[in-house]
Amino acid sequence: MAKVQDTIKHLASLQGIMMIVVAALMLAATSVIQSYYARKGLLSEAEQRAQRELTITQLRIENVTGPVESALVNTAWIAQMNLSKPDTLHTLLKNLMDSNPVLADAAIGFVADYYPEKGYWYEPVVARRPNGEYEEMILGSTSHDYFKMDWYAMPARTGEKYWSEPYFDESAGRTTVVSYAIPLKDREGKLVGVISADLTLEWLSDLLHDFQLYPNTYCTLESAGGQMIVSPPADRMDNKSEKYSMHLESTGWDMSIVIPRNEIFRTVNKLSLMLGFLQLMGLMLLGMISFKSVRDQSKLETVRSKKDKMDNELRIARGIQMSMVPKQFPPFPERKDVDLSATIVPAREVGGDLYDFFIRNDKLFFCIGDVSGKGVPAALVMAVTRSLFRSVSAHEKSPQRIVSSMNESMSEMNDSNMFVTFFCGVLNLSSGHLHFCNAGHNAPMLLSDSVEHLSVLPNLPLGVMPEMQYVEEECYLPAGSSLLLYTDGITEAENASREQFGERRTMEALDPSLGVKENQERLLSSIDDFVGNAERSDDLTMLIIRYMGADKSSVTRRSLVLRNDIQQIPLLAEYILAIAEEKHLGRSLAMNLNLALEEAVTNVMLYAYPKDTEGLIDIESELKENAIEFNISDGGKPFDPTHAPEVDTTKSLEERKIGGLGIHLVRKIMDEVHYTRKDGRNILTMIKII
Amino acid sequence: MEAKILENNAVITVELIGRLDTAAAQEVSEKLLPLQEKADRTIVLDCSQLNYISSSGLRIFLALRKASAVKGGKVIVKSINDDIRTVFMMTGFLNLFEIEA
Repeated sequence: MAKVQDTIKHLASLQGIMMIVVAALMLAATSVIQSYYARKGLLSEAEQRAQRELTITQLRIENVTGPVESALVNTAWIAQMNLSKPDTLHTLLKNLMDSNPVLADAAIGFVADYYPEKGYWYEPVVARRPNGEYEEMILGSTSHDYFKMDWYAMPARTGEKYWSEPYFDESAGRTTVVSYAIPLKDREGKLVGVISADLTLEWLSDLLHDFQLYPNTYCTLESAGGQMIVSPPADRMDNKSEKYSMHLESTGWDMSIVIPRNEIFRTVNKLSLMLGFLQLMGLMLLGMISFKSVRDQSKLETVRSKKDKMDNELRIARGIQMSMVPKQFPPFPERKDVDLSATIVPAREVGGDLYDFFIRNDKLFFCIGDVSGKGVPAALVMAVTRSLFRSVSAHEKSPQRIVSSMNESMSEMNDSNMFVTFFCGVLNLSSGHLHFCNAGHNAPMLLSDSVEHLSVLPNLPLGVMPEMQYVEEECYLPAGSSLLLYTDGITEAENASREQFGERRTMEALDPSLGVKENQERLLSSIDDFVGNAERSDDLTMLIIRYMGADKSSVTRRSLVLRNDIQQIPLLAEYILAIAEEKHLGRSLAMNLNLALEEAVTNVMLYAYPKDTEGLIDIESELKENAIEFNISDGGKPFDPTHAPEVDTTKSLEERKIGGLGIHLVRKIMDEVHYTRKDGRNILTMIKII
Repeated sequence: MEAKILENNAVITVELIGRLDTAAAQEVSEKLLPLQEKADRTIVLDCSQLNYISSSGLRIFLALRKASAVKGGKVIVKSINDDIRTVFMMTGFLNLFEIEA
């Protein structure tokens, strides 16, 4: 059982774990998909934002470089006009500087020997000093050979405008600059020099560091030659990041926005973290619920198995209960004087009906009982009742004393206020003399010439009143008659329309001429027909006893029951005759025994039972090896014939009294005469040695 | 049980036939009651057909015998069988009655 439970528990917990795993997998898949699309969305959003930012920045850069470019073109045009006045060029450059604060310096480098008076090199320069003053310079020498410098060489060679790589301008601006240079031509279109303006890079840095698209985002600006105009911060280089770039057409620069991926995905990461946390909580909750349900289920299993066990135990209890009543029929196949049949047809529930019987000393002890209530308590009380009956009747042959003794015991221990209706009888099988005592049970039915109720005092059920005085009654069962004892389950059996089977139907079902088995079957099938499919609420219990009369063949005991009537006396002669024949006794001895018996019985009729009262006298004889023992018992008032004074047979006629002869004859004939008063009965024992 | 009374002058004969047990004794007793008045005569109790007698019957015999003694008559018990003789012996009746074969 425990093993099965463990397996169930194990399976259930396995099921729980499986459920959690599946849920976890589904949640994980959801998370991955959700994260994938969220990231995709965030990436495209980041790109859009970066592109927008790049476009804005491009515009802002071109807002600076554009004016520089156009200013330089204008300046070149004015310079062309004023080529003949080389000394005005500084002023021209200053004007250029004035209108463009980002310029660190501006210069015009002329082709070699353009102004012969100025020498091989001629390069007027205006530089902005930190204090805001302009410094005018003329550069151009072997140490500052601008012909070899990119800002001059490139436009001079290509004839196109040129944005230089960033470089450190030692001579003029003394800062890192980017030069913008365009060729300077005369009116005939002949190259006369290059006009250049140097842009400081601080503004670019400011511009590019100005915005914060995402935290830790930075911008880089790369020249066409691949030099960094604006470098990334050194500590950001290794981070995983997204880079969005834009090429600036006018300057040839490449501008990039670098956004660390974790910044782009910060929200989704946060969301994932939160979702993960929630999912974990959910899983834990699921786990707990599943664990609880497993526990509940195992509890349910436990309850169910407990119930099964209880049902099983009830079945066993029922079996034990049924095994307590005699169930072998016919119970005494060797006996010709009595036959019994009994049954308890159990209802759905365990009930408290009982019957029992046994034979001791040619007496049939029997009982039937019905415990109030149903179920296990009733069954327990039934078992107790049956045990009590057996133990009390083992040393007691008076039904009244059996019932009283049982009542005392059951009243004493009756804490549960359960009571038992009970009928107890003792049938003398050699005579048909029946003693019985009723304790609140329904009266048995006597099947003789007809079927009728036995006249029975109700009394009170067992266990109701400890001091209850039960009354013993007696009757005589004619040979061939039967007795039906039953519980109210029979008469109160209900059909579907809630009619009761009743006593009339019970009586009609029985036939006095039939045997016990046949009558039992007739009654049961009659009830079956009546009840139909209706549910049975009560046990059907019956005990049928058929008395066939004393078995005349080869018995050592003979019994006779006489009513308190002198006219019964002649029956003694028949009785003695039978014994005499059995034992091959002589006629004289038989007559003497008859005489002794008659005297004893007559005494009972004269002195124990008041005249004209009902009363029975039991006569039993037991044939022994060398003796015959008679027991004469009656329920009359105490009368001890052995106490009668001895008759003096030697007295003269005048002195002789009329009475007293009877007991005198008994003494003369018998070898032993004893009297006892027991259980409210006079018992005279007479023994004749033969 | 049957009791026939035959009166013949001085002798009254009572034929007792059958079993004189307690059941029969009452009727016999009533029937023989008038004889107590005639106990001055000789009363012969013919027991040749009497099979059985118990104390109730013996009491009838004794009552007659006592009446006869008072009245100066005579009771003769005639032809008792051995069993009844035994009873008479046990009860001392053999000494009280005149027994004839």
